[in-house]
Amino acid sequence: MKRALGSKCFAALAAIVVVAPIMAVVPVAFSDRSFVRLPPEGWSLRWWHAFLSDPTWLQALTNSFEVAILSSLLSVTAGTAAALGMVELGPTARKFVTAVFLGPVVAPVIVLAVGLYALARSIGLVGSILGLVIAHTMLALPYAVLNIGVSVATVDPRLALAAAGLGAGSWRIFRTVTLPLILPGVAGGAVFAFVTSFDEVVLAIFLSGPRVKTLPVRIWEEIRVEYTPIVAVAATIMIALALCGALASRIVTRRPQ
Amino acid sequence: MTNAPRRRMARSAAGAGLLAPALVIIAAAFLAPLARLFALSLTSTAGLFGAYRELATEDVYWIVVKNTVLLAVVVTLVTLSIGFALAMTLTRLSGGWRLGLFACIILPLWISVLVRTFSWMLLLEGNGPINRFLVATGATNQPVPFLFNFSGVMIGMVHVLLPYAVLPIYAALIKIDPALLQASDGLGASPMTTFGRIVLPLSVRGLATAATFTFLLSLGFFITPALLGGPSNTTIPMLIDSFVNERLAWPLAAAASMVLLAMVLGLVGVVARLVPLGSLAEAK
Repeated sequence: MKRALGSKCFAALAAIVVVAPIMAVVPVAFSDRSFVRLPPEGWSLRWWHAFLSDPTWLQALTNSFEVAILSSLLSVTAGTAAALGMVELGPTARKFVTAVFLGPVVAPVIVLAVGLYALARSIGLVGSILGLVIAHTMLALPYAVLNIGVSVATVDPRLALAAAGLGAGSWRIFRTVTLPLILPGVAGGAVFAFVTSFDEVVLAIFLSGPRVKTLPVRIWEEIRVEYTPIVAVAATIMIALALCGALASRIVTRRPQ
Repeated sequence: MTNAPRRRMARSAAGAGLLAPALVIIAAAFLAPLARLFALSLTSTAGLFGAYRELATEDVYWIVVKNTVLLAVVVTLVTLSIGFALAMTLTRLSGGWRLGLFACIILPLWISVLVRTFSWMLLLEGNGPINRFLVATGATNQPVPFLFNFSGVMIGMVHVLLPYAVLPIYAALIKIDPALLQASDGLGASPMTTFGRIVLPLSVRGLATAATFTFLLSLGFFITPALLGGPSNTTIPMLIDSFVNERLAWPLAAAASMVLLAMVLGLVGVVARLVPLGSLAEAK
């Protein structure tokens, strides 16, 4: 009994220490002063008004949405196909392909960023939505392949055989049998890819150029010099979106923990 | 029987076709940039390996390598200790408490590292809440300089990397049969002995995985050291950034990138047999 109580106290303390530092930025977004102080001395929505009436911040938000939606669609489409393709491979080929997909997961992001920047510069993709979409698709793809692969592995292969025996073509089998069964994994992968792209800053810093900046890139540029609580507004928007993503992922995958 | 190999060939061909789009993306946006960097690293005016030679002979760069490795070692040790305590706590909780703490540990993984680091900037400031608390309680006379030095970088990185340590350690601890602990207790072993001779040896694989993840990710950290560290805390990723954006020294930037990549791949090669690297992609 005593031990359980001690564990609970420690757990509560740990939960606060882990979560509170992330939320610290939120009250600053509602400050009424023009300097950043935690906790704020007075409250107002003036920095939300300032954010919403500043076209550069709004443009950054729009860019972030555009890049996140496109790269999440791309990585999940290519990732689902790849996860289905992996099942057809022999054990050696599968091991090799898995190792290739793990590359972007273990390689330092700064190395990928500088490499992509060098390449994008030579083909004029710096400062374009397309360049950012390609980079973020690459980053999210391994997670999509491996996690959708977990869903694919649970599908009984006899179902597809039965459908084929009843005369269904491979596209029809995918659409009516396989896809409905792996849909939770696919939807989870899409949410994850969206948040990965929306949160990503290192690749975006290098590929943004002066015109097409995402929200994290704007935040990065502001906090390296002098900043006002408007940065906290942007950070709060990012936290809110990430929390929605975490919740959506929990709902679509319904993974029992 | 003669149909079986042909069918297997057809399946492999279908598999390759399905894999093609993903592999094209990886080739174009992962392998091609790395190949480009390797080529760039050989374009120094001081000869084919001039950039590498410059990195190897200048003392400043060795200091940066030392900074990076030392930071990664310290961050890994601190993260493992805190992670172990949290994972132990998780195994002792049940029901809603366990779920709740689990959610609190996983949740930060969803939130941008940039936002989390910005929060630490606000918290650790000279005039921030932590320093005001320390001064008000009389723990210190004047604000502690947490920012733009080693301690700031360490606090920020440990906080970001904690989930990567907790999850594998927890996975190892939860597999330990509670009967073993009861038996050890029943035979008169002290909690310390039980911990040292049963819990620790049985969780060594989880610890190795946790250590690999935190160390691997520490080596490549850019945002947190760049925002919370000072000039004397320059790490390899910050050096690469300054080569590209301040000194416009592409061969050096590319060579330093290759060195960092080699360090990471070398580590991966050493531990690949011991540690399930794939689970790094399943953390969330």
